[in-house]
Amino acid sequence: MTAKRIKATIRWITDSWMVILFFVFFFLFWEWSVDWFSIPRYILPKPSTIVVNASADLPRLIDYTYITGLETILGYLTAIVIAIPLGLAITFSSILRRTIYPFFVSIEMTPKIAFAPLFISWFGFGLLPKVIIVFLVCFFPIVLNAILAFGSLSDELDRFAKTTGASTFKVFLKIRIPSALPQCFVGFKYAAINATVGATIAEFIGSDQGLGFYIQIVTGNMRPDLAFAGIFLLTIMGLSLFGIVTFVERALIPWHISQRR
Amino acid sequence: MLAAISIKNVSKSFSTEGQPILAFGPADLEVNEGDFVTLLGPSGCGKSTLLLMIAGLIPCSSGQIIMNQDEVLSPRHDIGMMFQDSTLVPWRSVLGNINLQLELRNLNPNDFQDKISELIESVSLKGYEHLRPHELSGGMQQRAALCQALIHEPKTLLLDEPLGKLDAMTRENIRKDLQNLWMNEKPTVLMVTHSIEEAVQMSSKVCVITPRPGLIDKIIEIKLPWPRDLEVKRSQEFADYMAEIQEVFQGYGVI
Repeated sequence: MTAKRIKATIRWITDSWMVILFFVFFFLFWEWSVDWFSIPRYILPKPSTIVVNASADLPRLIDYTYITGLETILGYLTAIVIAIPLGLAITFSSILRRTIYPFFVSIEMTPKIAFAPLFISWFGFGLLPKVIIVFLVCFFPIVLNAILAFGSLSDELDRFAKTTGASTFKVFLKIRIPSALPQCFVGFKYAAINATVGATIAEFIGSDQGLGFYIQIVTGNMRPDLAFAGIFLLTIMGLSLFGIVTFVERALIPWHISQRR
Repeated sequence: MLAAISIKNVSKSFSTEGQPILAFGPADLEVNEGDFVTLLGPSGCGKSTLLLMIAGLIPCSSGQIIMNQDEVLSPRHDIGMMFQDSTLVPWRSVLGNINLQLELRNLNPNDFQDKISELIESVSLKGYEHLRPHELSGGMQQRAALCQALIHEPKTLLLDEPLGKLDAMTRENIRKDLQNLWMNEKPTVLMVTHSIEEAVQMSSKVCVITPRPGLIDKIIEIKLPWPRDLEVKRSQEFADYMAEIQEVFQGYGVI
């Protein structure tokens, strides 16, 4: 067991080193090729230029990261808070399953971002329309996966629970919820990947702050260096959100097959 | 002798496109208290369906099942069940899974400490109590499932091909454990299997079931000494029972 764990750690380090090395080479190549191929600065800036110029504009970047982050987190959490109980209700109500469920499946096919101009005309340029867009982007994968999760208990466990005579609530607490968690996390992770996309595009469409807004403005001012700074920050934000969700998943369901590798 | 389970004219049909199709029965069967009865038949003959009807997990299409002087109309709580796939939950250890049976029945696991260690010992899982199912072999998982099915001391044990997915050696081993447990506690056992050898080795009575729609064609009493160890299995009598049942299935054209 210990030997296995040590081996796994060593493998993790070697794997990570390769990734880190790759990133270093990637940025070195970028840095060097801008000069080598004489690419104009207003088309593609060097990574070093990006870092230097971004630090000069740091207060604004931090401010906007906070704004976009807030939109993302609020939309994402609201989606979870509403989607999970609704998913449960749909799983256990045949009326909802025949009405709301097909409705949700069809809306899932609609590009949610198409609603953004409407929301902005309804709710203005502030936080609310962006939170709603992030919410919509996150809501459907979470609710659809929740329905799948709560509805698919194995026959064996279902039968076993019935022979014990335990109350529905008890079976729910002790069997159905833990069984459903892995599939729920499929939805949470998918939504986490798309949350920042929703926030960014919503800001493109109409905003006066946030990283999406920033990228659009600085690109218009021929400052691709600052646009890249915004992109990096959005990447870090997306990675952090996904990382947190993965961390919670590991903590909650260490027994699940996807966590055991 | 009291009949622990009596099955009267029971059948099961499923409707496909409005047409009812008879899957099992009608069949009659009396299982005495403390009997070990196997339902032996080819796959698709409805033997598992019968077991689920006895457990009250699915309704009969016709007829009546009486268990311990009580008509079966809803899921029975005085039974222990095992299936081909174990009923262990992956987030609990062996011990946790045994406790799950008790917790769901509003029993306090602390009151069952002795019984739990005794059971764990009897299926050679001592030292593995704190491992989770995925850390165990298939055989050990089914041993744990057996403890889970027995911990609340059910009078009746319903087993649906519990050893179906295991390799031959593991199967042999668990049969021995199961037989010992049955000989000690004498619960009424109904086990579904498609292995003739398993049926002869384990049972006091073998119900031979025809291919779909399943009918209980023959009830063969196995009068071999207990425990049915390898010596008994090598005996001429054992071979004779095997041959007798094989001939029945040959008659059906399934082997």
